[in-house]
Amino acid sequence: MIPFVAVVSLRDQQSHTFRLWIPMVLIWLLLLPLGVLLSPFIFIACLACRVNPFRGVLVMWQIFNALSDTQLEVEHRSAGVSFHIF
Amino acid sequence: MTEHRRQILQMLSEGKVSADEAERLISASEGPSSTSSEPGSALAGKSRPKYLRVQVDSEDDGGREGPTKVNVRVPMQLLRAGVKLAYLIPAAAMQKANLAMHEQGIPVDLTQIKPENLEELVEQLSDLTVDVDQKDANTKVKVRVFCE
Repeated sequence: MIPFVAVVSLRDQQSHTFRLWIPMVLIWLLLLPLGVLLSPFIFIACLACRVNPFRGVLVMWQIFNALSDTQLEVEHRSAGVSFHIF
Repeated sequence: MTEHRRQILQMLSEGKVSADEAERLISASEGPSSTSSEPGSALAGKSRPKYLRVQVDSEDDGGREGPTKVNVRVPMQLLRAGVKLAYLIPAAAMQKANLAMHEQGIPVDLTQIKPENLEELVEQLSDLTVDVDQKDANTKVKVRVFCE
């Protein structure tokens, strides 16, 4: 399943928490036309590198789909940053 | 005592089966049910892990600066997809990497590593646990890498 939402959470040493919900779906929709525009160049670049472009697209799609549930948290003293993809 | 075990013992007492056969029958009948009845049993532990976790706990300067904690959770699915990037490495790049590694004294031929080998490597990660503890006068670092 493609990632729908990313949450970036920042906490300072006074325990003030700032949480940002990023709707990934909107970003994908915005990036989609760009991807379509770039696809001929990507195709040519793949052929120049002797890489199967269809396999390349498939692999990138699989990576994109597997991003869900990725989580990164860093805390120092009482401050911290966390990044979670749903 | 279960009904099945009673029947096997009955057969043993009647001489219909030998002691070895009775033992095999009992272990065969009890094996799956006993493991599945315990949620935290070895069977549950052998289930396919979903995440690779990296945890780092660090205290610098004798703990005066406060602890630093890093917690990374990567889906195994992402690793499996990531190793497929090996399909996309151009042959020329592979040869350059081989050359550079040979210059560093690492006799590894990357062209011999097939994507299916890498996928197998990721599968075997489920049994991986790395624990690193480092304690100095001013620094304490604990690193754990495991699958869950």
